[in-house]
Amino acid sequence: MNTTAVLTAMLPEHLLLVGLVLVIGLEIVGHSRRAALAVAFVAVAAAAYAAAQLSLDGYAAAPFAGQFSVDRTTLLVKAMVLAFALPVLVMARDDFSGGEFPALLLSSLYGVCLLQSADSFATVFLGLELMSLPVYVLVLLAWRRPQSAEAALKYLVLGGTATAMFLMGASLLYGGSATLSIDAFPRALAAGDGLSRAAVVLVVLAFFLKAAIVPFHAWAPDAYEAASVPVTAYMATIVKAGVVLAALRLFGRAQLAAPMLGLVAALPLASIVWGNLAAMRQPSLRRMIAYSSIAHAGYLFYALLGDPAGRLQAIAFYLLAYGLMNLLAFAALPAADDDVARDRLDNLRGLFHRAPFAALMLGLAMLSLAGIPPLPGFVAKFLIFRNVMTSGHALLAVLGLVGSYLGIYFYLRVIQLMFMSPDANVAPSTGRHRLALGASVACVAAALLVAVFPGWVIGRL
Amino acid sequence: MAEAAVLNWVLFLPLVGVAALAIVPADNGRLVRSLSFTVMVVQLALTAWLYARFDPTVGGLQFETRLPWIAAWGVSYQIGLDGYNILLVLMTAYLGPLVVAGAFSAIAKDVKLFYAMVFLVQFAMVGTFLAQDLFLFYVFWETMLIPMFLLIGIWGGERRIYATIKFVLYTAFGSILMLAAVIYLVWSLQTTTGITSFAFADLAQTRLPVDVQTVLLGAFALSFAIKVPMAPLHTWLPDAHVEAPTAGSVILAGVMLKMGTYGFMKLGFPLFPDATRQLAPVLMSLAVLSIVYGACLALVQDDIKKIIAYSSISHLGYVMLGLLSLDLLGIQGAVIQMVSHGLVAGGLFLMVGMIYERCHTRELAAYGGIAKLLPVYSVFFMVLTLASVGLPTTSGFTGEFLVLLGAFKAAWPLHVAGNDLPLVLALVAVTGVVLGALYMLRFALGFLFGAARAPHQPLVDLGARERWILGLIVAAVFALGLFPNEPMQKTELAAKAYRELIVAPRLTARAP
Repeated sequence: MNTTAVLTAMLPEHLLLVGLVLVIGLEIVGHSRRAALAVAFVAVAAAAYAAAQLSLDGYAAAPFAGQFSVDRTTLLVKAMVLAFALPVLVMARDDFSGGEFPALLLSSLYGVCLLQSADSFATVFLGLELMSLPVYVLVLLAWRRPQSAEAALKYLVLGGTATAMFLMGASLLYGGSATLSIDAFPRALAAGDGLSRAAVVLVVLAFFLKAAIVPFHAWAPDAYEAASVPVTAYMATIVKAGVVLAALRLFGRAQLAAPMLGLVAALPLASIVWGNLAAMRQPSLRRMIAYSSIAHAGYLFYALLGDPAGRLQAIAFYLLAYGLMNLLAFAALPAADDDVARDRLDNLRGLFHRAPFAALMLGLAMLSLAGIPPLPGFVAKFLIFRNVMTSGHALLAVLGLVGSYLGIYFYLRVIQLMFMSPDANVAPSTGRHRLALGASVACVAAALLVAVFPGWVIGRL
Repeated sequence: MAEAAVLNWVLFLPLVGVAALAIVPADNGRLVRSLSFTVMVVQLALTAWLYARFDPTVGGLQFETRLPWIAAWGVSYQIGLDGYNILLVLMTAYLGPLVVAGAFSAIAKDVKLFYAMVFLVQFAMVGTFLAQDLFLFYVFWETMLIPMFLLIGIWGGERRIYATIKFVLYTAFGSILMLAAVIYLVWSLQTTTGITSFAFADLAQTRLPVDVQTVLLGAFALSFAIKVPMAPLHTWLPDAHVEAPTAGSVILAGVMLKMGTYGFMKLGFPLFPDATRQLAPVLMSLAVLSIVYGACLALVQDDIKKIIAYSSISHLGYVMLGLLSLDLLGIQGAVIQMVSHGLVAGGLFLMVGMIYERCHTRELAAYGGIAKLLPVYSVFFMVLTLASVGLPTTSGFTGEFLVLLGAFKAAWPLHVAGNDLPLVLALVAVTGVVLGALYMLRFALGFLFGAARAPHQPLVDLGARERWILGLIVAAVFALGLFPNEPMQKTELAAKAYRELIVAPRLTARAP
């Protein structure tokens, strides 16, 4: 084992760990409440920068052979996911002041990073759990309403079920192939025997559960609604990205064929359709975003149907566009003293007259999530459906596109409420932090860059 | 290439306008208005200069810009002027300042946002006409939707939200299937020729079997036919038109409906020529159905905006008929008819807006004898009515006459050969002209003549601003009616090229 390689390859993770230790240390000495968030912000920024820089250098290493490896793309993906955490931390300033939030967030991020480099099922498991366990606590941390506990418990139980399914699948795979390496997964996909089939189905369903794919989606609306805004933003973007990217890593270069193709096509398609339909009737913004993210998880898994060579590009680009716009929506969401009120869609009525900037930002986010050009969400969807169609699944691509059409209405409804409806009777909030404004400006600037130069971004992936 | 640079300016000036509006203080309505007007005038001036420089003796693209955009997929930023789009771009630029000026008094709420949205629509519309790359075209095509959604939804009438959501959902449904067809088309090009490109010029080389062509044309046609709109896909239009503010109606009728016919002419038919020839009888029947059905519906409306909305369906039916006749005169007539309808319907919607500002009702029954109350208004109104009916010397005559001439010219040899359908369709289309005269004259008679009656008397006749707006429209209507030669020269080569593309058989056997 080479020490330099361990230090360099895991530099982003190490930086997160340093941040975590510092945050806990600050908590022990009882330092100022805000310092913990600042420390976490610096640690995440440094980790993101380190990952990006290593990726630009084309660094690749496997410090723990068979367990953990990095290369240019995994580092780039880590940089992207870590960068997503920055606006989340900024938003959290209004909701959390102690050290718990940054500490939990850093551990969860560590898990996300670990997942992207996992070469064996043991590491994948470690990453998944390290990512998920802090989130169960985070959902409960704000404790804004009594339902929080119920939602957190639901999330915990279902998350535990997913873990159990994953472990069972992994052990079946180990039984069949006597290896814990994730290479066993594509081989099992291709194999026709019952053991491999069962293993693959269990592992795939575990990922579907973690990503909230229909019919395993019921926890998501409750959890998203019960958590506070930054935690919801974190779950909707980073956790989702972590799960999907891990699934992508497992699938490797395997070309899907029947009957597994049916599984990977049918449930995501059902997610797209049901997520978009159910989102129409939600009175709460976060529940709506939850259903929207169920649909988006559908698009992301749909990308697995595409040609293996283009999958990573499609998924990473989609996550970039989707993540930026979701974060923008949460960062621009106007503050309110009452969390339940803040969440009500009706409170967005006439927002354009009260807060034009917030309304424009939210509007942009909604349009991009709906996939309307020229916003980045369009190119992202185009990329996915193009890959699906060019892999010979023309009908599936058309069905997915029609499913995405169903989503347009509820995104437009948000715009309709903000711009076309008379003002709601909303008491002006006690000031919005300037930092959240900064976060939304950063998100929208990045999104516009992606929209104007998609070719450049795709070329990097 | 100074011209290419100017063309880019023409496209992006509206965005400059949006950026300028963003920094202007919102409470200074005067500044917002004059700024918007100036930007539109500059755009028109640049477009007119390009029009003058456009060489009608050269086929193909002029003043072209081509830059790689998404190089990995063969997507490029490619724009240029050709015989297909030059008149439509000029018309769009011509209507721009008039739309802005027409809204000076009507729009009092969220003025900045309003002009920003008008700019965005203008940007997307000019972009759709100029784009020479299918991806770019699609992006502009869809971008149009959102500012229009807001224009109708914020500044519209009572049922504006219903109307605007209907409009968006209708058009977006067509677009989503078109998107699938676009992806499939580009992929077929790639697998059959090895070229990865979205450029129109490259896509024209795809060779597809007829059944695939038919499916793809169906997807494109659905999207375009919704925009035109062709019966029976027209039901969004009356709602959108009636609820939209005047500026929105003018943009919709003046330019946006032509997106559909332009799409057919530039993309739908030439890309899938074999399917087009096969489906021509169906499409022509739908075009004639639109002519007659639109006219019949216009005949029974009580809402003056609805009369013009339904008349648009009828008038655009002629455009489709001309395009499908595949006769040179018919095709050129179709192009002239597009421009003519843009001017005439745009002008009529502006006039409806002006009377609505004064009387706050669109009930035809509430008006009578306006000629006595508003003499100047009535003169303009009569001129535009006659242009809509297709009186000689107006642009409406040139367009409709050429279309019908082309339709008969194309139908006669077929009739001799034993196929009577085109001739029957052409004959039925002629009755559309009669019906057109009937509904417009019914409208004008009830509105202008008879006992003087109007809500909110006394009425003030048109002011200088309004006279200028209508004067410019009427001038253009006569210019196109009296001197159609010059614009027809500019489009002649494109019309020939369009005909060649469809008439020449390009059948291949194998699907990719």
